[in-house]
Amino acid sequence: SLTCRRKCYYYESCSESEDSDAQEIFINVKRKVKTPVKYNDETYISPFKSLRITDEAHVTPVKNKALAKDIFCEAKTPKNSAKKATPRSTIKLIREGVITPKVQSRSRTLELESTPLKRARSQLHVSYVPTNLPCREKEYKDIFNFLEGKLLDKCGGCMYISGVPGTGKTATVTSVINQLVTLAKAGDLPEFQYVNINGMKLTEPRQAYVEIVKQLVGKTVTWEQAQTTLEEKFTKKSKQMKLPIILLVDELDIVCTKRQDVVYNILDWPTKPNTQLIVITIANTMDLPERLLMNRVTSRLGLTRLTFQAYTHKQLQEIVAKRLAGTNSFNPDAVQLVARKVASVSGDARRALDICRRAAEIAETEGGDTQVTMSHVNEALRAMITQPKVRAIKHCSRLEQYVLQAVISEVERTGIEETIFSDVYRMLVSICAINGFNLVSCTVALRAVSRLGACRLLLVDQKCHDLDERIILNVSPDDVYYALKEE
Amino acid sequence: RKLFGENDLYQNARRALHSTCPTTMPGRQKELDELKGFILGHVDKGTSGTLYISGPPGTGKTASLNLILEDSKISAEISQVYVNCTSIKSSGSIFSRIAKDLGVKSGGNSEKEYISAVEKHLQRPHKTILLVLDEIDQLESKRQSVLYTIFEWPAIPNSRVILVGIANALDLTDRILPRLQARCELKPQLMHFAPYTKQQLVEIFTSRLRDAGVLDIFSPVALQMLAGKVAAVSGDVRRALDIGRRVVELVDKRRTGDGVLKAVENLAEELESEKKIESVDLKEVVSVLNSVYGTTQSFDDEVDDAFPLQQKIVVCSLLLILNKAKNKDVTVGRLHDVYRRVCSKRNIQVGDH
Repeated sequence: SLTCRRKCYYYESCSESEDSDAQEIFINVKRKVKTPVKYNDETYISPFKSLRITDEAHVTPVKNKALAKDIFCEAKTPKNSAKKATPRSTIKLIREGVITPKVQSRSRTLELESTPLKRARSQLHVSYVPTNLPCREKEYKDIFNFLEGKLLDKCGGCMYISGVPGTGKTATVTSVINQLVTLAKAGDLPEFQYVNINGMKLTEPRQAYVEIVKQLVGKTVTWEQAQTTLEEKFTKKSKQMKLPIILLVDELDIVCTKRQDVVYNILDWPTKPNTQLIVITIANTMDLPERLLMNRVTSRLGLTRLTFQAYTHKQLQEIVAKRLAGTNSFNPDAVQLVARKVASVSGDARRALDICRRAAEIAETEGGDTQVTMSHVNEALRAMITQPKVRAIKHCSRLEQYVLQAVISEVERTGIEETIFSDVYRMLVSICAINGFNLVSCTVALRAVSRLGACRLLLVDQKCHDLDERIILNVSPDDVYYALKEE
Repeated sequence: RKLFGENDLYQNARRALHSTCPTTMPGRQKELDELKGFILGHVDKGTSGTLYISGPPGTGKTASLNLILEDSKISAEISQVYVNCTSIKSSGSIFSRIAKDLGVKSGGNSEKEYISAVEKHLQRPHKTILLVLDEIDQLESKRQSVLYTIFEWPAIPNSRVILVGIANALDLTDRILPRLQARCELKPQLMHFAPYTKQQLVEIFTSRLRDAGVLDIFSPVALQMLAGKVAAVSGDVRRALDIGRRVVELVDKRRTGDGVLKAVENLAEELESEKKIESVDLKEVVSVLNSVYGTTQSFDDEVDDAFPLQQKIVVCSLLLILNKAKNKDVTVGRLHDVYRRVCSKRNIQVGDH
């Protein structure tokens, strides 16, 4: 980079040392570009004059700026002409729900999916929820029967749904509710209101009240007010609600605090007479009520529970195949490979879909309409599942690799996992000597250790620096041997 | 579906087994009489008193208090305040809530001013106040000042307060309010709601089902089985009702499923068969009880291989470490080492950390 800079400098000095004629033309051209109308006729100007002109050119933007400012001011004098909302009143309007939030729309329309691979990719996206979920018919029926029964019986109740992430809990519940909404519109079921809160979307558990009120009424109030309105609505007979409410609480474990008042209230309202609140709670842990919740909350939660099992490889295969219906851009064997790999690790449908999308992207780089084969899937799997640590060690600098080796041999020597930098350094010196590597200073070695600590190959104690820094190896020694041996 | 009358029977049964506050309490007659006697005695004498009700969840504490509050004789003579302590912001804000419910105006908005306003109201001549504090253990504060303040109100001269506290803990007043023991007039009278026995649960079920006119939906043996199991585990009536409802749902679902099949075959035959009511049998109760109280998961043979293979290996290697190693302190790295060795022996690809 130094040479490059020098070149630049050289070039500049060259242009400066040129005779005045060239400079004159240079300036002239520059001026012409800036104000082409005024000085169009004068082609040859003496250097002195040109200097003046450049001065003027310097001045004009300032003038323009002042002018622009004036124009700007004129354009922005709404105080007299039209009443524009002040921020405070805007906030008020937002709180009352008069103004709805909007996102800026695109300037251009979206392109339609042209190639089959692109269409397959858009259908494989996690956010694309199919109209009926494959392999969850039994759970769908259970939830549907529960909700339908409660709506027909005109009484409240609770249900607890659990399962590992990516097994279709929320998708199933929302599709059941969509079905109920269409049935209610047709008049087969009583009408109801639907409220949906997610524990992770709340800054604080008590904001749940605010969210519920916002979805029921449309106004934003403080949580104290929200709680009192809700309590009056659910407990007092005079202010009884007209429609039954279905309340979906996602991520229940986040809503639990030490006092557990929010979750108690949410589960206590359905037990009140003359209200009809149906609560569906979703969480990951199977035994959350027994483990985390208080006795009295567990008693109110009841025993209506449903567990979503992890998907098997057959089910995952069916899910992906359903999504790809209509396109033949995927080799069935490739889909099966993805399903088997994912089902053996977690049974998470999102992961399977992501891997398929990645494989489609890899295939797309080879051409618009190639079929996704096993090799593409293998590449995607290698990128998404296999170990990045070995590759990270392989790409370390030679000094860093020696440091890792030194830590390992120090651990083997002492038999204790935790090592001290001074001992590691002593080991490093001998390893360097054996390999014919130039001896490095202590500070350089320390910098290598901190680099390895930053990418978490080593765990480094931040408190004590220098020679008594404590170091723990964060990768398994086998990984290091494996990575260094193959070189 | 609305055409068939029997469906309403199941619906009635489900409705009868609701777990909201009931209007009659079959198994709690003794406690109800005792409560009524306590309150009416104090009303007649014009004195104040304190009562602490304890018992595990689902034994009908709040429900019996609600019944008492709705009693016409009592509500005529007493002004009532019912506060559920979980629904207030913090333990200190209970006073503003009480002041609001009593209709007392205070000079300011601070906690102290509300206390003084309520205490002034208590010193003036007034109707007897029945103050019910549900889930009173939520009012715990630093040095228990809130609870002490409230429990000392009945001892204010000329006051006529009947204070009823409800909580789960048996010895809450002894444990967190030891100073009340020193003064005899402050000491709360204790009342315990024992878990329901099998007989009481059967009584509740029969009375509810009889009121709805669907008593023959449950066979007596099934009812005995259900009540015995719940009484043995917890004695929580909410659980018992929940299980009862689910059993009814199960039978209803199975029957309607059959009905659809029959409809295809012959409508007349179906109507014939619908007339006899299928009662809940021991079999269904046992299956629901097993699914609720059995081991965490009843694996069907089909679902059995749903558990991902790698997770199975991880659990097995953890078991291996816990069985063999002396040091039970297992880190992820140590577990991963064993897991990797197991995987390589079984010729399975190793997952990363």
